Amino acid sequence: MKRSPLSIALLAAICIAVLAAGPFLLPPFYVRVGQLMLYSAGLGLAWSILGGFAGYASFGHAAFIGVGAFTAGLVENSAAGLGPLWLLPLGLIAGGGACAVLSAVVAYPILRLRGTFFAIAMLGVSHVCAELTNNVDFFQGSLGLNFPPIAPASADPADFFYWLYLAAGLVVLFIAWWIRHSRFGAGLLSIREDEDTARMLGVPTERYKRLAFVTSAVLTGLLGVIYAHSLGYITTDSVYRDDTNLSLIVYSLLGGMGTLFGPVIGAFLLVFVTQVILARLLDFHLFATGLLLVLLVLAAPGGVVGVVRSLRRRRDKLAGAE
Amino acid sequence: MSAPAILQVEHLSKSFRGLKAIADVSFAIAPGSITSIIGPNGAGKSTLFNLITGYLAPTAGTVRFNGRPITGMATNRIAELGIARAFQIARPFRDISVRENVRIGALFGKKGLRDVEATTERGMKLASLAHLADRRASALTVGQLRHLEVARAIATRADLLLADEPCAGLNPTETAAMIDVLRQIRSSGVTVLLVEHDMPSVMEVSDRLLVLDAGMLIADGSPHEVAKDAKVIAAYLGTPEAS
Amino acid sequence: MSLVLQTVADGLVLGGIYALAAVGFSLIFGVMHVINLSHGVLVLIGAYLALVLSNSLGVDPLLVLPLVMIVLFGMGYCYQRFLIQRTISGPPLASMLLTFGIALMLQNAMIWVFSPDMKNITPSYAFDSFKIAGLTFDAVRVSALAASLVLLSCLALLLKFSHLGRLIRATAQQTLAAQLCGVNVRHVYALTFAVSAAFAGAAGIVIGVILPFSPADESLWTLNAFVVVVLGGVGSPAGALLGGLLLGVVNTLTAQYVGPSFPNVTMFLMLVLLLLVRPHGLLGNAFSASR
Repeated sequence: MKRSPLSIALLAAICIAVLAAGPFLLPPFYVRVGQLMLYSAGLGLAWSILGGFAGYASFGHAAFIGVGAFTAGLVENSAAGLGPLWLLPLGLIAGGGACAVLSAVVAYPILRLRGTFFAIAMLGVSHVCAELTNNVDFFQGSLGLNFPPIAPASADPADFFYWLYLAAGLVVLFIAWWIRHSRFGAGLLSIREDEDTARMLGVPTERYKRLAFVTSAVLTGLLGVIYAHSLGYITTDSVYRDDTNLSLIVYSLLGGMGTLFGPVIGAFLLVFVTQVILARLLDFHLFATGLLLVLLVLAAPGGVVGVVRSLRRRRDKLAGAE
Repeated sequence: MSAPAILQVEHLSKSFRGLKAIADVSFAIAPGSITSIIGPNGAGKSTLFNLITGYLAPTAGTVRFNGRPITGMATNRIAELGIARAFQIARPFRDISVRENVRIGALFGKKGLRDVEATTERGMKLASLAHLADRRASALTVGQLRHLEVARAIATRADLLLADEPCAGLNPTETAAMIDVLRQIRSSGVTVLLVEHDMPSVMEVSDRLLVLDAGMLIADGSPHEVAKDAKVIAAYLGTPEAS
Repeated sequence: MSLVLQTVADGLVLGGIYALAAVGFSLIFGVMHVINLSHGVLVLIGAYLALVLSNSLGVDPLLVLPLVMIVLFGMGYCYQRFLIQRTISGPPLASMLLTFGIALMLQNAMIWVFSPDMKNITPSYAFDSFKIAGLTFDAVRVSALAASLVLLSCLALLLKFSHLGRLIRATAQQTLAAQLCGVNVRHVYALTFAVSAAFAGAAGIVIGVILPFSPADESLWTLNAFVVVVLGGVGSPAGALLGGLLLGVVNTLTAQYVGPSFPNVTMFLMLVLLLLVRPHGLLGNAFSASR
């Protein structure tokens, strides 16, 4: 079953090349869908570092999208004299930094909670951030924030953001892959499986959980900054979205909880289904999403990766029996 | 005692809402030995283990490991110093394979230079689990899970292994296999502290016995000496006057 | 001074209704550890049923309460028995996502049937009010509060003294032991859910009488229920009442003295802080005695 590193690298290069060629091959509508797929996959991966790897499923990661986006917007607007080339890096640093600070502070108390209590407390954090952004005039959440255009004049903004999302998604994927295969990742896995035993074996559970939380929050925030730029204009409601809070769980659940590619597969599938197939049934949209969720929980709790794995295991067993 | 003690317990006490679970217990463990703690149900054996591994904080007293006080330290810090514990009710990481379970022990545990893969293989071999390396932990039998507990604990490169009733509920064949594993662990240089109910195994494997009753240490000596101790017999069977 | 008292009095009236709307959620959480994200939908179904029934029968909305409760009792039983039961043994997220999916579907269905617009049930005494000791009380609000308190007491008595109550408590405390004693745990779970749904429906009527409602409100009522449970404690009507009254008073006080758009901030801040200080709420888990 093991493939050589060379063939894996080749396969990865082909996949990246195909994805990067997207804007040349696809009609504009599908470039937009592609943007959303890549953005969602990035978010799903960032969520999965905490929710999938360490088993701390957050129901409030939109908090970091919002905090990242609004911080970046406020900083960029106050530094409007800079050239467009500098604005995005500045926004990323500001937005990522704000998420790092927020998550590092919140992590101490909130990671003492487990399971559903953690999930719901995160929902609370997300709503507190959203309400404050909306009601404190300084943040201009109800009024809205404009983002300066950053796409170079030579490129179509839609194509530009597609490539930006692709690059960001690859960075997140690489970080997630690296964590998965590191000592840190093994520690997170043991925390997910049984936190007390992990501690007994010498895993610094508290430090690892905080580190996973901050990593996940910062990556989510960075994606939020890019998202805000691609929208061009944001309000509280456009970045602090409860459907994002939910979707991040669903991506992992649909693709396969705790696996590396699960959230990517889940995000691609769900975005494609909702944007391309269900977009035509506007009135049924909520109903169809709900139905999908119900069927998913009842029929394939292991997600796509889980189904593939159990099929493969069955095949191996058959092969072994012969 | 010739060699300096690896574990020193000094005047250790633990009360739960006034009830003394451990009352002024002191003893020292020589490196390279197998010492068993025995005693009737509720004597405080598991509490003692929980105090040593940092799972509970003592009401009074200290625990020293290699001369260094570890009382009140976080559990994972104690593991980093080189104490490992195998639970009575096995707590494997269920969704991953035996090898991955043991590997997590090898990746963490005692600090210092490491060769993770070799330590993993060695841990599985010592606990005679090598043939099950790729099996998922959730597919193991009760006996195999006990071996996994021991393998994972040994893989942390601990100098002291606390094993909580490793033979409880095992059949005679499995018990014999477990005793064999414990002996091999001792000969690899690891000190073993055992809580065990199965008296024949205790007598067979231990270099020394500590007897707890109602939170107090009532006897300490070789299995042979302890078996003849009147206080021990009284604790297990009850004194004729009292009953 | 009288403004403070009036605000607190308004808060207590609102809190009694929060308590009723949360008690079913609390019961399910306490008994089977399911976070029912479709609870708010059940509350709204109660409100819409009351609207339809009281209009077509031409009676006071509070009079159709038993009928609505019976309908929701049946719905709740089937919902638990045929859907949620399948996720009980799975990870905790499974039941949460299942109920969320159902909530989306039902919310969509309510939009088709009743339109997304705000509705309200207007009883004949809608605009009456009276004064006690200088404080003004609306007749509707007082009758709503009274209904809430009566219903909460009924549930408390049901849990404490009836055969069903004993079954529910036994199953919650020691599921396995109850099973060994011949209790049909699935049946008890379904009955618990049915009771919870019935009380959600009743809460819906009471809410419908005093506040306008629309299908989009369902998540608000689910979140309110969660906050009430975290504040008060899991599983008991007394905990729900305590949490509800606290939430009501805090909400009206913040709206009055901090700003009309801040109750949500304080509510979620309170939720997060309380989870951190007392993960099981002020009164703990009513069923956790032997856990």
